[in-house]
Amino acid sequence: MRKCIITFRSVTPAQRAEEVLHRAGVECVVQRTPKWMEEKGCGYSVRLDRQDVMAAAMLLRQAGISFKKTYALSDSGAPEELRL
Amino acid sequence: MTYLDNGATSFHKPESVMRAMRCALENCANPGRGGYTAAMSAAKTVLRCRERAGELFGCAPEQVVFTANCTHGLNIAIATLVKPGSRVVISGFEHNAVTRPLHARKAKVKVAGRKLFDWEDTLREFEQALHSGADAAIFTHVSNVFGYILPVEQMAALCKHYGVPFVIDAAQSAGMLPVNLIELGADFIAMPGHKGLLGPQGTGLLLCGREPVSLIQGGTGSLSAEQDMPDFLPDMAEAGTLNVPGIAGLSAGIGYILQTGIDGIFRRQQQQAQQCGEALEKMGFRTFLGEHQGGTVSFVPDMDCEEAAQFLGEKGIAVRAGLHCAPLAHESAGTLDTGTVRVSFGHDAAPCQTGNFLLQAEKMIARSQKNSQ
Repeated sequence: MRKCIITFRSVTPAQRAEEVLHRAGVECVVQRTPKWMEEKGCGYSVRLDRQDVMAAAMLLRQAGISFKKTYALSDSGAPEELRL
Repeated sequence: MTYLDNGATSFHKPESVMRAMRCALENCANPGRGGYTAAMSAAKTVLRCRERAGELFGCAPEQVVFTANCTHGLNIAIATLVKPGSRVVISGFEHNAVTRPLHARKAKVKVAGRKLFDWEDTLREFEQALHSGADAAIFTHVSNVFGYILPVEQMAALCKHYGVPFVIDAAQSAGMLPVNLIELGADFIAMPGHKGLLGPQGTGLLLCGREPVSLIQGGTGSLSAEQDMPDFLPDMAEAGTLNVPGIAGLSAGIGYILQTGIDGIFRRQQQQAQQCGEALEKMGFRTFLGEHQGGTVSFVPDMDCEEAAQFLGEKGIAVRAGLHCAPLAHESAGTLDTGTVRVSFGHDAAPCQTGNFLLQAEKMIARSQKNSQ
């Protein structure tokens, strides 16, 4: 299953996002944002299945949780920024 | 010991508070600093506390900033709103946690409303002060000395009417009276974690209706490549490692209150304070009782107030005497010279506490009479 990463400014919105997504039945985990994705240094993100990313973005916007960027990871792990 | 100094700190914490602190010490590393299990456990503990506080105080978790105590929160709020020369309206019952930071910032302070338990006077004076021009208003919800519950909803409405930003000091009301950041429309509400919220000392909350200034700068675990502090809550006001064991305990304390309900806690405190005050009055002490009063009552003993508290302390009654870090409140009530003995009930207020206290108060009278013969 291809994965996506949604990045956040800090741990608090990432955790709140995890809660919102879990409540909606979307599987995800909070993790540190890979260094190269976070140009301002240190952040948190949620990792989830590619198929859930559109619904996740909508849920987060509805909950008023702002996120920074969204990346899709290929099977080899190569990332591609998504424009949602 | 009969503990009646809850205005200073709650002493008999729920068992869940101690368990939560122990659990945090055993399982939590630094929140927001790593992705491994112990760091994420800490982050979850912290977020849970923000969420519980948000539920109790009507705001989003991000609006909850952790502080070391109520004074710390008030200092952040005052530093945000008050510049040298700012005109600031305060009530006549403020604590030094408000008046000293204002003095240090060279604010022009206008004291409004000095009659105890008199909402009409408080509101009339407060409105007059706002009407004559103010840059900010800061007022306590409940006097720490006399238990006077100020009409904060009406005072908040007046501030909004006159377009004056305001801060509420909820040191003596959080966990006992309804406090809602959004409904009150406050710019900031500061509170300790260790009093009515039943957490450990070294904890406090600042509810932010607007962005605060950063009193201290440092690591936040976010935007680390930037030298400016993050420009978003709560990180912008939380530099350095958080007090996770304390926050875990505070979270459990708030959880206890959410489960128990503040109405019941408040009624028990108020009832005991009233019975206690009425009995003290009958004994002949100058006692401060009024309509809008919470779980705290003050009286002037017929001996030095510190000696009275010492006598009671030796008999197993814990009360606080003196000026209670609130000389302005004592000035308003006319007790600056004598001080008072303060009896303040907590979440575990019970008739036996009042009974124990009154028994020793009678012995105090007997000793005083014996000494004067």
